[in-house]
Amino acid sequence: MTIIKLDEIKYALQNLSQRKTRSFLSIVSILIGIAAVFALISFGMGIKSYINTLAEESGTNKLLITAKGIGAPGTDDTFALSQEDVDFVDKINGIDDISGMYYKISEVTFRDKNKYIYMIGLNLDKIDFIMQGMNIDIEKGRALKKGDAYKAVLGYNYILDNKVFSKGLQIGDKIFIDDVNFEVIGFYSSVGNPTDDSQIYITSEMFEQLYPDKKDKYAVIMASTEQGFETKEVANKVTERLRKFKGQEEGKEDFYVQTFEDAIATFSSVINILNGVLVLIALISVVVASVNIMNTMYTSVLERTKEIGIMKAVGARNNDILFIFLLESGAIGMLGGIIGVLLGYAVASIGAGYAAGAGFSALKPIFPWTLIAGCILFSFAVGAGSGLLPAIRASKLKPVDSLRYE
Amino acid sequence: MLRDYISLAIKNLSKKRLRTYLTMIGIFIGIAAVVALIGLGEGLKTAITSQFGFLGTDVLSVQAASVGFSGPPGAGAPNPLSDELAEKIEEINNVDMAFNRYLASATIEFREKQKIEFVISLVTGENRRDFERMLNLKMQEGRMLTDQDDKGILLGDNYHKGATYGATFDRPIHAGDKVLINGKQFNVIGIIEKKGSFIFDDAIWMNDDVMINEGIRKDDGTIDTLGIRVKDASRIEQTQKDIEELLRKERDVDEGEEDFTVQTAQKALESLKSALFAVQLFVTIIALISLVVGGIGIMNTMYTAVLERTREIGIMKSIGAKNSTIFTLFAIESGFLGLVGGIIGIILGLTLAYGLAFIGSFALGSDLIQANVSMELILGALAFSFTLGTVFGLLPAIRASKLHPVDALRRVK
Repeated sequence: MTIIKLDEIKYALQNLSQRKTRSFLSIVSILIGIAAVFALISFGMGIKSYINTLAEESGTNKLLITAKGIGAPGTDDTFALSQEDVDFVDKINGIDDISGMYYKISEVTFRDKNKYIYMIGLNLDKIDFIMQGMNIDIEKGRALKKGDAYKAVLGYNYILDNKVFSKGLQIGDKIFIDDVNFEVIGFYSSVGNPTDDSQIYITSEMFEQLYPDKKDKYAVIMASTEQGFETKEVANKVTERLRKFKGQEEGKEDFYVQTFEDAIATFSSVINILNGVLVLIALISVVVASVNIMNTMYTSVLERTKEIGIMKAVGARNNDILFIFLLESGAIGMLGGIIGVLLGYAVASIGAGYAAGAGFSALKPIFPWTLIAGCILFSFAVGAGSGLLPAIRASKLKPVDSLRYE
Repeated sequence: MLRDYISLAIKNLSKKRLRTYLTMIGIFIGIAAVVALIGLGEGLKTAITSQFGFLGTDVLSVQAASVGFSGPPGAGAPNPLSDELAEKIEEINNVDMAFNRYLASATIEFREKQKIEFVISLVTGENRRDFERMLNLKMQEGRMLTDQDDKGILLGDNYHKGATYGATFDRPIHAGDKVLINGKQFNVIGIIEKKGSFIFDDAIWMNDDVMINEGIRKDDGTIDTLGIRVKDASRIEQTQKDIEELLRKERDVDEGEEDFTVQTAQKALESLKSALFAVQLFVTIIALISLVVGGIGIMNTMYTAVLERTREIGIMKSIGAKNSTIFTLFAIESGFLGLVGGIIGIILGLTLAYGLAFIGSFALGSDLIQANVSMELILGALAFSFTLGTVFGLLPAIRASKLHPVDALRRVK
C-alpha cells in the first residue's frame, strides 16, 4: 500500500512538471494572494505585540484622568484638572502614585525655523513614575532635575535630520520655545510615532512661569494603583469621588477616567478591525486563485481521461485516482504557499523600512513560525480544496467510457 | 470579417463551458470587489467632504498654525490671530468682507443630562445674511437668530433627532425649549436642517458677541479662524497672496516661515481629499491583486485553448489564415472573457456597494456609509476588464499565431 502511495505521489508531481506553463501560472496565482495575506497579518501581529509590550512596560496598574474638551489634550483648556483634584485623588484608597501633567501646543524655533509641537510640563518629584508610564527613557544627555531653569529635554525625533528640523539637534543647542531661549540637555528614547517623538519636556515650574494662565490647569492626571487593588475598580471609585469633590452630577463630569488597559484595548480592537478588513480584501484574491486551480484541475482531468481509464482498467480504485488529483492540486497550493510566504516576507520588510523612515517605527511586522506554517498549511488546504470537485469527477469516471474518450 | 471572428470566439468559448465560467468567475469577483470598494470609498469621501461648511469658489479662510490633526481649526494655536485683522483685511482690494469666527467648547444641559460640545459663532450685524448664505444654513424648525437674540441659540440636527444613533440627547430638543450652556439658560430659537456633517449637526450656534459676553469664549483679543469673501472669484489667488503678505507684515514673519495658513475652501477640501485618496488607493491596490490573479486565470485558460486547438490552428493556417488572423482570434476570445466577466462583476459590485450602504446606514443610522458609483467608474471598470483580458491573452495569442502550420498539423494529441 505504502509503495503504491509513493508511486502516486511521484505520478502526481510528474504531471505537474509536464504541464509547466499551467502549473506555473496556477502557483503564481495563489502565491500572490498568500503573499498579501502574510504581509498584512505580519503587520497586524507586529502592532499587537508592540501594544502588548507597551502595556507591560508602562504597567497595567495605571490610569489616566483626562479633562474633556475638543481636540487632543492641551488644545482646549475650557475644562482642566487642578492640583487640588490631584491631591484629592491621591488620598483615595488604592491610589499609589499620581501626577498632574501640563500639555500645551507651543512654537519652537531652531535656526530661524518654526515648528508647532506639544510642550509637556513635568512634575520632577514624580519624574520616574511619569517616564515609566509614558514608556520612555533618556537616550542621550540627562533628565530634568530640580531647578533646571530654561532647560529642555526633547523627544527622539529631534536627534534625527529631516524629522522635526532639517538638521538634528545636539546636547547644548539653543532653541526658542515661544520666543524664550532654552538649552537642550537631553533626548528621550523613541516611542514610535511622530507626534509623541516630537514632544518637548520642561519642568512644571518652568511651564508655569512660561504660561502663567495655564497654571494649575492640568490636561491629564496620571495615576497608578497599589498592589492588590483592581485598577478597574479604583478607576470607578475615582470617577465617583472626584465627581462629588468637584460638585458635579453623574453624567455631567467634565473629565473622564480611563485605565491604560482600557485605552490599549480600544486601540487594539480598532487595529484588529482595520487589519481584518484588509486581510479579507486580500483573501478575495485567494478565492480567485482557488477558482483558477479548480479550472486547471478540471482541464487536467479532461486531458487525462484516457489515462484514468487505463489506470482503472489495470486495477486503480476510485480512491487512488482521487488521491492522485488531490495531491496534485495540494502540491500547487503548497508550493504557492511557500513562495508566497517568502514574497510576503520581502514585501513586509520593505514596507516596514518605509514606515520607519516616515517616523512610524512602531509599525513593525513580526514573523512567528505559527504564521509561516499557518499560511503554508492554509495554502495547501486551499489547493487541495479547490481540487476536490475535479478529483471526485476523475475518480468517478467509468473505465470503459474513459478508455473510449477521444 | 470582425463579426466572423467574434462569432468564432464565442463558439469556441461556449464549447468549453465549464472552463469559460470558471475563468469569468475569477474576473468578476475581482471587478465586483474593486467596484464595490471604490464606490463605498467615494461615498465616504462625499460624506466627509460635505463636513466642510464653507463651499464656494469665492471664500478664503485664515488660520494660525498649530500641531496638525490636533482638533478643530485654530484650536490651541500658540500664536492665535488677533481680532483686529478682519478690518485690515477688508481694506485689501477685491475683499468683499472678512469676519471673525470663534469656536469654543461648552457644557450643554437638557433635562438633567449634560454633554460637552462646541459652540460656533454667528456673525452679527449687516453681514449676517451673507454669512448664513455662505454656510448655506437653513432652518427645519424655528427661525434664524437676529442681533437682538442675546439669549438665543440655534442647534444642529443631532440635538433634534432623539434616541437614534448619533443623537446628542435621548430626548429631542425642539425650538422653544430651554437648555443650560455652561450653567446659563438659553432659548433654542431654531433647529438647523440636517447637514450630514458631524461638525454642523453637533454644533451649538450663537451670536459672536453673545459668545464673548457670556464668557463662553474668552475675550483675549484673539480669534480662532477668519472667514473672507472676495468680490471677484477669478482673482482669488491674487487676493490670497495679498492677504498672506499683509499677515506676514502684521505677524513679522518671513516668506516661507509663515505661522498661519490662508486657504481657499477648495484647497482645504483638496488636501483632505488627497489624504482620503491615499487610503482608498491602498485598499484598491489590495483588491486589484485579485484582478491580477483573475488575469492569470485567463492566461492559463488561453494557453490551454491554444494547446488544445493546435491542430485546428494548423488547418486554418494551411488554408490561408495569416499570423495576424490567428492572433486576432485568440485576442478577441480572451478580451471577451474579460469583458463579460467585467459586466457581471460590475452588476455584482453595484449590488454589493448599494446593499452594504443600505445595511450600513440602516444599522448605524450614519450618513458616512453611502455608495457613490459614478459612470466613470463603471466605464473604467469595463474598459479595464476588457484590457486585462486582452493583455493576459496576449502571450498565448502570440504563441498561437507563431505556430508553424506543418508542425501544428502533425501534432498528435
